[in-house]
Amino acid sequence: MGDFDRRGFMKISGAGLGGLLVMETLGCSDDTDPPVGSDGGTDGSTPDMGVDKGPTTDGPAGEGILADGTTPDAFVTPDDMFKGWPTAFTATTIPTTCWIGKQDCGMLATVLTQTIKGKKVSRIAALNGNPANPRNNGALCPKGQAQLQAIYDFNRIKWPLQRTNAKGQPGTFKKVSWAVALAALQAQIASAKAKKKKILWQKGRSKAKSFYDKAFVDAMNAAGYSTVKIGHGTYCSDSGYRAAEYTLGYHGVISPDLAHTQYIFSWGWGMTTSGGNKFCWLTWPQKYVKARARSTNPLKKVVALDPNRRGTGPHAEEWYANRPGSDVAFFLGIANYLVNNTKTGFASGLVDETYLNNHSNAPFLVADDGKILMASGKEQVWDKTTNGAKAYDASGVVPVLSPGAKTIGGKTYKTAYDRFKDHVKTNTPSWADTQCGIPAGTVKKIAAELFDAAKIGSFITIDGKKLPYRPVSMMAYHVSQQETGFQAMRIAMMVYQLLGAIDVPGGIQVDFAAKELYKNWPKLNSVTPATSNLDFTLKGSKFFPINSACPSFFHKVQLNPAKYDVDTSSIPTMAILHMVDPTVAFTDSKVIQAGYKKFEYVAAIQPWLSETADFYADLILPAATLEKFEGPISCKTADESATTLRVPPVDPLWESKGEIDIYLDIAEKGGFLAGYIGQINKQLKLTTFALSTSKKPTSKQIFDAWAKQQGLTGGISFFTANGAKGVTPTSTHTAAKKYSGAQNYHGARHRFYGESLLTYQNAMKKAGVSAVYYQDYTAFPTWRPPTMWGSTSKGYNLHLLSHKKVEFKQSRASFVPVLAEIAPKQELIMNPKTATTLGLKEGTAVWVESHHALTNETRKVKTTVTLSEGLRPDTVSMSHHYGLTSHPSATGQGPSPNNLFYGDEGYIQCTNDASFHVMVKVTKA
Amino acid sequence: MAIYGMAIDLAKCMGCRGCMLACKMENGTPAGHFFMYTFRFTEGTYPNSKLRFLPRPCMHCESPPCVSACKQDARIKWKDGRVMTDVDKCTGDRSCEKACPYGVNYFNIDDPAKNQYLDWNNTNAALSGMYPHWHPNLVKKYTWAADPKTKDRRVAGAGYRKNTVGKCTFCAHRIENGVKETACMQTCPAGAIIFGDLSDSNSAVSKAIAAAKTKFKLQASSGTKPRVTYLNGTEPASAAKLIEIAPVKKGIQSKGDAKLGGGTIPWK
Repeated sequence: MGDFDRRGFMKISGAGLGGLLVMETLGCSDDTDPPVGSDGGTDGSTPDMGVDKGPTTDGPAGEGILADGTTPDAFVTPDDMFKGWPTAFTATTIPTTCWIGKQDCGMLATVLTQTIKGKKVSRIAALNGNPANPRNNGALCPKGQAQLQAIYDFNRIKWPLQRTNAKGQPGTFKKVSWAVALAALQAQIASAKAKKKKILWQKGRSKAKSFYDKAFVDAMNAAGYSTVKIGHGTYCSDSGYRAAEYTLGYHGVISPDLAHTQYIFSWGWGMTTSGGNKFCWLTWPQKYVKARARSTNPLKKVVALDPNRRGTGPHAEEWYANRPGSDVAFFLGIANYLVNNTKTGFASGLVDETYLNNHSNAPFLVADDGKILMASGKEQVWDKTTNGAKAYDASGVVPVLSPGAKTIGGKTYKTAYDRFKDHVKTNTPSWADTQCGIPAGTVKKIAAELFDAAKIGSFITIDGKKLPYRPVSMMAYHVSQQETGFQAMRIAMMVYQLLGAIDVPGGIQVDFAAKELYKNWPKLNSVTPATSNLDFTLKGSKFFPINSACPSFFHKVQLNPAKYDVDTSSIPTMAILHMVDPTVAFTDSKVIQAGYKKFEYVAAIQPWLSETADFYADLILPAATLEKFEGPISCKTADESATTLRVPPVDPLWESKGEIDIYLDIAEKGGFLAGYIGQINKQLKLTTFALSTSKKPTSKQIFDAWAKQQGLTGGISFFTANGAKGVTPTSTHTAAKKYSGAQNYHGARHRFYGESLLTYQNAMKKAGVSAVYYQDYTAFPTWRPPTMWGSTSKGYNLHLLSHKKVEFKQSRASFVPVLAEIAPKQELIMNPKTATTLGLKEGTAVWVESHHALTNETRKVKTTVTLSEGLRPDTVSMSHHYGLTSHPSATGQGPSPNNLFYGDEGYIQCTNDASFHVMVKVTKA
Repeated sequence: MAIYGMAIDLAKCMGCRGCMLACKMENGTPAGHFFMYTFRFTEGTYPNSKLRFLPRPCMHCESPPCVSACKQDARIKWKDGRVMTDVDKCTGDRSCEKACPYGVNYFNIDDPAKNQYLDWNNTNAALSGMYPHWHPNLVKKYTWAADPKTKDRRVAGAGYRKNTVGKCTFCAHRIENGVKETACMQTCPAGAIIFGDLSDSNSAVSKAIAAAKTKFKLQASSGTKPRVTYLNGTEPASAAKLIEIAPVKKGIQSKGDAKLGGGTIPWK
């Protein structure tokens, strides 16, 4: 088979399979109708809302035909409907899980078996939610529904492809066999091994982590390869994770305990668009609706802080639109109110002294230089009984939260709480107004409401367990990805620390029924920043002591290692991409593209041709979508636990394979199959039913062994049988499990005061790095205007935000035609007042130009304006998910805002996390 | 006798359009046809603006103007309250579309089987793995024994034939095969859509309507008597500004413009 271009391979892929197809029958040639909603947008029209708008002025539709006198085309006979398709069928129901989203919702696939032209065909005819799965309780979102079409997308990659043209341009590929493809990949990784070069394994949305991240990468390295992995989380909410791990010791960001809360502060939560803590969407809205309907103490109020109203839609009683990037200032204003007001029983401020004294480091004594007073290896507090310093855990100690300045050994000490009061002294609600545009009265009102809602001092008994009751909560997740996101998350968590609403009924939660403190709790507190010969990720370095390893910054390092004191031998020279499309999906497309050009070899494992693969892959291995075995998949929520699997309702289509089978093939070819199987045994905890390391299993056999290991005597049939529930029985978390933290927080003293952050700053200064890296390493979150605001003096007066759409959340799926039907194109959302000022209207084509406040670099994209009264006038917003070019169905949908964001100094967070903020100007195109 | 209807709780609706997609996938509606359409819109001006959602299926009116307008016996009222289109009788004169005040009728100006991104009639494509997702129950003929007029009627699905009109059937193929919930109801994450028997005061739909703090019907003054009731919300203001529009394809603005005499837009 000869070379062919991108569309060509799709063309041939159909013909090659059936031997009968021509392009036109597939509807993907250039001269057939484009699908509505992609570049066929002009074909559509605005739907009638069905509300009475008075008499119509235009004639009815039917008149057109009659007036024209045209006779409709001759009817096909009823029997011609679906000609060739028999109506006889047998149906089976196979439980499986969603694949496109993050949270793997349970599905029931209806599989029809029919005989067509003498051939027995099984096809999926419906995907419905699985009622037995506690993650979704029988419901599905648009993405889940649309997968039925995605599976049978005629533009899937159907067999291994090898590049035939130079990289850096749209690819041409030739079909190769799996044997040839695997041999080609093996030659490359063997060469890397021989030359002691590193291999980058880069993943997108993580599925079956134990097979890929753990078993595969570890097995490779055990076999002498040098493989390093980087993930995608810094584009999601990683700085929120880092803030929670550092501050509270749990792995997650912030979610409300919807079983008990009565007040939610919705900070940038896309309740109607984008999930929340740990989930891509569906679970939280279900719990929210239930909370509103609770018969006892229902959820009473949602207050939203978000420049864009879209996220909470009609579900927030109050909506406040702050200036983008000002979140730290807002929460400092709230904290100022709480610590500086008192009332009977709250002499030290409107705060929960019991929690702060017993479960945080707020009562620890801190010197003027920021060091916590230690004696005999123990942090010291001011003891009420002895009126002196004493170890925080000494017998009989009664810590005083706010004793004022104390002199000990000739040095002045104050508690961390008193230091915080000093810290926020000038951050009054009126001051906050000047930064974030929320009136002082509103800041005070919200602070007072938070205090009232917290019911500090109250208790609730659940499952016979008496627990503190703080029905005041927050949801915050993707909002963390802004320049000062790490500290914004810290101060938000600190406000809830002040209220004592951490991991107690009704309060905020980070992880779900955590069994122990997360491994980063000690790690993030004990970094010794490395100063030279740094690793390419800059982890633990003088630049980013706490480091989420943003991939775009890796590419900056890759392009200029000397600038970052990086050991060039640590920089990977080839990459294996696992379900990821970095050049489009991540911020700073420009630098990522430049980085990819430098890789000597790129292999991509994916079901569709991503832009990254199109331009830079040497080899593409076709992965299946949901028609594969994958798992085990947790169905855990805040309140329930269960386990399920992804089960193929039909065999993998064309020559695609499930990734587990692909990795088994790679391991076999690479001579580390035994090691890989050994790792699988370890990760899946297979003992009695451990897999033989001498024989390559199928993914089905692996899960059969796993199911038996779980005590499911029928093995995998528990999940795969026709009509099976497919989910292990749901267990509802008991209070003891769900609020395990509330009892003693697994022994942690929450870091209200971030002493080590200050230590890192001092080390960074000593190492000579510039302030742009260390400025946010402060013990308490400290306000500074974000770098982007510097662009206003250059005429870039609009804040550009990105937003997520529920139709595509957690995916680059805009090429799925039915999803594109309901969300067809990129648009710049703008307040009508702003549009009028700029002379723009609904649908006006515009240039959106971003500006880098430190380098004066500009970037621009073209899109169209859409107007919304739900947005601040000084803010505009663009959706993620668009910008795809290599899939025919996505052509013409418009650009990704990732072309406008910057991923370097000034915009990257102190934790090496991405930011989705930049200043722009908008002009008529 | 069951009388079917629907309640849509606007206080629960998340505007996710899962119902739109469930309907599309279940009924196999052609590109640009949405038997269920969820509107997203704003009302008022910043900063006092509201952002709301409104799912809109066929109202399955008790007094359906589309039925009286249809002279072909194609638009019929099933005795259980559902308003159906018999695709075998529909001649595509679009009188139903003209009579309906809700804009829920979709005219198949193109061959619906070919307007599906795949050519659903192409079994060769299917045999190579490119399957359509339609279910044979969608094209079966149904009879409701209690009403002789309903004998052998092809009323389910999207009327998969050129020059016919399709609209929401309350998932006739499900009801006729014993599944008592519509696809939109089944998929709704928020439980905002409740379908059921309005004549049974103990049905979920009747209970939801009875318990609602507020309720309204679209264009109540039109005399159509919709069997879809909106709960816990208010009718959109006429000045509501639609956002995030999913363009519909009724044929008017497609390549058939000239044939249809100039592309009038009847719903404005």
